Amino acid sequence: MAKTFHLEIIATDRIFFSGEVEHLVITAIDGLLGIMAGHEPLVTSLPTGELKYLVNGEWKYAAISEGFIQVMPDSSIILADTCELPEEIDIKRAQEARERAEERLRQKQSIKEYYETQAALNRAMNRLKISQKHFK
Amino acid sequence: MPNMREIRERIGSIQQILKITNAMYLMSSSKLKKARKSLECTEPYFYKLQSTIESVLEHTPHTRQQCFDRREDIPEDKRKKGYIVITGDKGLCGSYNHNVLKYTEQKLKEAADIDNCYLFVMGQVGRMYFQRRIQNDKKGYVDGEFLYTTQNPTLYRAREIAEQVLEKFEKHELDEVYVIYTDMVNSSLQETRTLRLLPFERKHFGKAADGTMKKLPKASFVPSPEEVMNYLIPQYAKGIIYGAMVEAFCCEQQSRMTAMDAATNSAKDMIKELSLMYNRARQAAITQEITEVCGGAASINEE
Repeated sequence: MAKTFHLEIIATDRIFFSGEVEHLVITAIDGLLGIMAGHEPLVTSLPTGELKYLVNGEWKYAAISEGFIQVMPDSSIILADTCELPEEIDIKRAQEARERAEERLRQKQSIKEYYETQAALNRAMNRLKISQKHFK
Repeated sequence: MPNMREIRERIGSIQQILKITNAMYLMSSSKLKKARKSLECTEPYFYKLQSTIESVLEHTPHTRQQCFDRREDIPEDKRKKGYIVITGDKGLCGSYNHNVLKYTEQKLKEAADIDNCYLFVMGQVGRMYFQRRIQNDKKGYVDGEFLYTTQNPTLYRAREIAEQVLEKFEKHELDEVYVIYTDMVNSSLQETRTLRLLPFERKHFGKAADGTMKKLPKASFVPSPEEVMNYLIPQYAKGIIYGAMVEAFCCEQQSRMTAMDAATNSAKDMIKELSLMYNRARQAAITQEITEVCGGAASINEE
């Protein structure tokens, strides 16, 4: 078994995960980032996206929305707004959110509103994507 | 001796109030259960966020980030201070609102120039209070468009508030931002607290409850410290505001529950006392009637 490091994923509404993992892959601002035990100290922010980690030789997936990660050689902490397993995602709700956001994008909006809507759309799309990919 | 009818009416009205307070007690206790649960879920995030940011900041190279700018060139009496004050939407919760308002008043008094204080009040009670206060010609400024409820805190609301405040900060409409909220120390102890939100300063970050942050010698930031901070700061502001909202909401329910419990108990005590009085008055009336009847009969017999 590969060397492991301690990973904590804390969402605003719960402690999503806490335990030893072998490998962690996150979506950072500029692409995917793989983290294994003994990684150099690193801080980066996570946009809405996918997250996967290897526990006992098994990949686990999660949908994450906006957060940041602090990596240390023997432990990592992810703090995020929300974090969900593919099977926890409420597809109906995500679809509704997407439709709402798309509808709003068609309206004339201020730049700020536009960004907010885009972020909302992003979150909905990400949820749908991940639940379709890993949970059928 | 009070009139029997009067006592009966009083007992009736107390019973009505008792029904109300009892219902409110039950409602707030079920709400408290929910709020407690969400508090328990959010607390790890709230504390971890503070400690992680603290350790991140220790390794952040000096950037020309807006949010680190302490604006020391502005003298103390010219600094525009913003306070996000979290109060309840309703009264009837003991000293909860009163404590927050009093604490805020004190903070305003301490501020060098009250004209430069901007209040962002969440919750109906606080908003009413400060608006009235301004009408009475006391200075200070309340943002009238800052309309947010404190019921059932959501991340969405926290995000909106954080964005508003950050925008004002960046536009130099505010130089310092604080959050005033009530912290749940334990179920019987609440404490009104201030948390400094902006600008960032290392010593202002609270320690984590477990205090197990390892120091990292030098962290790298991907892609760049500025970029990461651009993401991190709104994230942090949002997290702190959300955490404060959850804490405050839980405290409000807790104090409402205690207040309503006390009210119900004292209503019960009053009813007990009044019914004793009522019975005495009734007894006295009966006794008097008997005496009158006996007196009347005796006088007839004598004739």
